[in-house]
Order: sequence, then C-alpha cells, then structure tokens
Amino acid sequence: MLYYLYDGSFSGLLTSIYEAFYNEQKPDYIVGKSKYKKSLFAETTKIKTDENKADKVVKAIKNKISKKIYKNIYYVYLSERKNIELDIYYYLKIAFKKGKEIDKDWSDNRVRRIKKISKKVGRERHKYLGLLRFRELEENILYAPFEPDNFLLPIISNHFASRMKNKRWVIHDKKRDMAVIYEENEWMIIDGSELPKINYSEDEIYYQKLWKNFFDNITIKNRINLELQQNYMPKKYQKYLIEK
Amino acid sequence: MELGNKLEILTEAAKYDASCSSSGSNRKNTGGGIGNSARGGICHSWSDDGRCISLLKILFTNYCIYDCAYCINRSSNDLPRSTFTPQEVAKLTINFYKRNYIEGLFLSSAIHKNPDYTMEQILKTVQLLREKYNYNGYIHLKAIPGADYELIKKAGEYADRMSVNIELPSRSSLNDLAPQKKPEDILRPMKKIGEGVKENKLAKKKYNNAPNFVPGGQSTQLIVGASPETDYQILKLSEGLYNKFNLKRVYYSAFIPIGDDKKLPTVNQPPLVREHRLYQADWLLRFYNFEADELLDENHSNFNVELDPKADWAIHHLEKFPVEINEASYNKLLRVPGIGPKSAGRIYKSRKRNKLSYYDLIKMGIVLKRARYFITCKGKYFAGIPMKKEILKQRLADKSKNWNQLALFSNEEVK
Repeated sequence: MLYYLYDGSFSGLLTSIYEAFYNEQKPDYIVGKSKYKKSLFAETTKIKTDENKADKVVKAIKNKISKKIYKNIYYVYLSERKNIELDIYYYLKIAFKKGKEIDKDWSDNRVRRIKKISKKVGRERHKYLGLLRFRELEENILYAPFEPDNFLLPIISNHFASRMKNKRWVIHDKKRDMAVIYEENEWMIIDGSELPKINYSEDEIYYQKLWKNFFDNITIKNRINLELQQNYMPKKYQKYLIEK
Repeated sequence: MELGNKLEILTEAAKYDASCSSSGSNRKNTGGGIGNSARGGICHSWSDDGRCISLLKILFTNYCIYDCAYCINRSSNDLPRSTFTPQEVAKLTINFYKRNYIEGLFLSSAIHKNPDYTMEQILKTVQLLREKYNYNGYIHLKAIPGADYELIKKAGEYADRMSVNIELPSRSSLNDLAPQKKPEDILRPMKKIGEGVKENKLAKKKYNNAPNFVPGGQSTQLIVGASPETDYQILKLSEGLYNKFNLKRVYYSAFIPIGDDKKLPTVNQPPLVREHRLYQADWLLRFYNFEADELLDENHSNFNVELDPKADWAIHHLEKFPVEINEASYNKLLRVPGIGPKSAGRIYKSRKRNKLSYYDLIKMGIVLKRARYFITCKGKYFAGIPMKKEILKQRLADKSKNWNQLALFSNEEVK
C-alpha cells in the first residue's frame, strides 16, 4: 500500500496529483499528514508542496478540460471528506481523457460521487449566503459566526466582499476555528485565536429585536406550516440565527 | 410612535403580498457603496408559514382612503394605523441588509391622501436609499394605481422590480369588491411598465450605459377564492398578462377571510390546494410550453384537487403516451409527468451518446415515480400496470402534505 502524504493544503493536493501522474509508482491513497494513521503495511511518500507544479495542474485542468471541472474538484476538496483525494485523482484521470463531457457522464460511480459532493458543497454555500447573520461589534465591525459542514470560508468570502465593500467584517467558522477578515477590498483567512473579543455595538440588540419583530409578524397565522419551514431551514442552520 | 411598533403594524399589513422573490436583477455594487443583487435570488430565512423571507416586506403606510372588501387595510377596518418616514425605511433597510437579514426591500403602500402623494413617498424613499446611502441591493416597489405615470417611471429607474396588483381576476369582481379602484388605473401602468421594460432591454443592447428601468421585470398578484371566477378564467388571464404585458410573474394568493363583508364568500380555510394547483399550472405556461386552453376549457373549468395539472392533462391524453425516451422530442419529453426542463435536457443530451435504459435514467437522477407510467425505454414499458385512466388516476393522486396541512388549521386560528 503506497500512501502519498501531503500537507493538507489544496496546493499540496495538486502537487500530489502532479506526482501521481508522472511517477511510475501510483498511490493507493493520498492523505493529509494530520489525518494519516501509521500502519504496518503502509509505504509512505512525503509530497512537498510545490506551487509551480500545483499551478501547472490548475492550468492544465482549466485549459484542457474546463473551469467547471476545476470548480468541482476544488469544492470537493473543501468537503474535507475522508479519502476523497484519491477519488479526485481518479476523476481527473478520466477527465483528461474524456474532456469536459465528463460532466454529463452519469454512469461511473466515482465520477458521480465527485459531482454529488461538489453539488452538496455548492448547496451549503448558497444556503449560508442567506443564513449567515452578522452582528455589529464596537468600531462598526460586522461579525458572523457559523458551523458549516464543509470548509466554506474560501468560497463564501468574495460574495460578501463585493456586497459589503465599504464595511469591515469577519466570518468565523467556529467548527474549525478559522475566520475570514475583510477590510478595504482585501480578505484573508486567519486562525480563530487571533480574533479580538466580541463586544456588541450599542445598536446591535435594538436591531436584533426589530428583526425578530419583523420575523414574527410576517407569518400568516392561517397558514402555519412548521414542517415546511424546517425542510428549508433544518435545525443545524439555526444555531446562530437571530430569529430562531 | 416607536419604530418597533410601526414595524409591527406595517409588517402585519404587508404580509398578504405573496411575492418575496429577489431574483432577475444583476445590480453591481458601484461607488464603494453597500449591496448588490444576485441574479438567482437568495432566501434569507423562512417564516413559520414556510414562506421564504428574502426581502424586508413592509407597507409605507396602512392609512387608506379605499375600502376594498377583501383587504385587511380597508378604511372601514378598525385596526392600528401608522406611517413610516422615508428616512426610517432607509435606515431599517440598511441596518437589516448589512447584518445579512435580507436581500433587499419590498416597499408597498396603502393609498394615503391620494395616489400621487403615496407614490411620491415611495419615490422619496428609494431616492434616499440609492443616492444618499449608496445602496445597491434589491428593491421591489409597488406602482400605485392611479398615480401620475411620470412618478411611477421615475421610481422604476431606481427599482429592480415593480408590480401593480391586479387584485381580482375580472373586471366585474373588481367593480363589486373594490368599487373605488378603476380597472383602467391598474391596467394602464402595467402596460406602460411592460413596454418600458422591453424598450430598456433594447436600449441596453445598443448602449452600454443606458439607465436601468425595472431590470428584474414586472409582477402582479391576484386573490383566488374571493370571487366566483373559475381556474380556467384565471389561467387565461395570466396567460394574457404574460404574453401581452410582458410580465415576469403572476402571484396567486389564497383568499383569507379577514372581514365579514357580505359581498365576500364565507370560507373556513384559505383555498391553499387551489392556489397550489394554479401555481403548478402557471409553471406549465412559463416553462413547459403549455397553453391555458390545453389544460382547461369551458366544460372542464377547474383543476382536479387530487391531481396536479400535468398529470391530469396526461391521463386525459393517454393516446399521446407512452413516449419512447430515446426518440421523443424535447417538447414531448417535457410533457411527461415528473419530467421537467432539467431532466428533459439531461435525457436529450445523454441519449446522443448511447441509448438509455431504465436503469440509466435512475442513475442520472431522473425521478421516475410518476414518469414511469408514461415512458418506454428501448421499447420496454416498466410500470407493470395497464395504461388505463382509472388505474393511473389512483396511482398519481396526490396523497401528500397538502391534505394534512389543511387539517392543521383549527377553526379558532382561521377566525
């Protein structure tokens, strides 16, 4: 059993894929270092992240296959699922052969799995575009905590960056304790421990109350349908909602 | 009055408006302001009735000079009244928006003083938002029937979507239930806005910097069940509105008994299933190339409550089925119950490479629960029951939540 161990970053994964394509010994597993558990029969190769090689892979995918396929594998990487790396590798192998038509292929199980997961990540991203709630802190910083299943910070930030250009804001992934901070057209991902203390601004509670007020009064009482509400907005999304 | 109380009153007054869509517009955040709009629309929450909350949906005022029988805000109704100021609406919008509570504003109004005055207030509010607050998020505005079209047009330059509610499905019902509103006052601005949207689209193709005019299109709403029209009449009306007035959406709202006016029918529950069927049929008009006359006619003038309109159509046209999945045209695939534009597109593309079997369809994620009764794959019919009207009717009957949902309403809640 040959294990490729990479540093867990997307560039690291792409480097591993580069090596897998060019090395004679193909990997049986591609695993992030921190997730790897020692095993007696395993042979390991450490993959050193190489931005150049990673870049070559990105360009090859975008030019020779399609941007959509690139998006698919990036989203799937962000799903952080166990042993998903080898599926990505396999998917790319086929994609380089078949081209972008692979996106219309529903017959191969592993290809379908990639597509499904990519869709799932996209769906969760879309849900949070609506369900993220910012709180206003002192000094007018907006702060939104959430606990997504997938690692959404890199793909959710551009949306808010263009929408709230003139604000300063933070989105905090509490599950991974990572955060995006945005200021003046730039955002970056930092460790949660680097965040300052959370103190609400003077107005914050006032507007939270107004929002709850609106939320309660917009319901048509003759049409109560909590089941339908729950279908759209499952419990796991509700933890940081102001109105629930 | 405190802002909180105003919000309560003017939300309560606005909630019967069905539209909450934030789609169709693609406004950029320019000039370092706040907000943009996403073409696909985004839901930000769901209220206890299961409706999506996307916009801050409020009335500017609920003081009204009209006394329309079906309307909660009619002048003879005894309820707390209030009015926002443009400044208050703008502040609420900005503060909700930056916290990501909402995708934008939906501002409607009762008719205060006179139509022009009311439209002016609405116009002032959007001007404030767009110009002073540099707000580029979504805005849906009501055009007030009877207001000077210049005011409406001006407002349309700031808005993403506009709507004039047609309220009732026929002239005579409007005369009965809303005698102070003239049908012409509703139809005239609708027609003009429709033309404006069309012209604007053309202008934008020619000049990059042509100003916006209602880029998200126009919608309207009518109440179902407050007046005697049949589903056929309603659907014909919608079809006309889509084709002639260039409307984006028609919303249907089940009549909720909110007054005891003698002119209104007595109902215990809002006709939710009927509303649902009309929406389904509306989709068939817009995305499935159906015509109203195919779905209903003078003799068969209301939808079957137990069957969705497409399934109902199919079992009345069994001579057109089963269709062979590997040969039927895109349009014929679209007419199979359970197959929508997405599935039809998938089938159409995939079958070019190799002929599709029943199992292939499952793998492609095509939902076959209904479709299987109406298709063959490579000549084989998989449903395992004879194609007879009565049997299919039983299999396709809607045993879903709608019925339970109705049972959920106790009588106290309704009154």
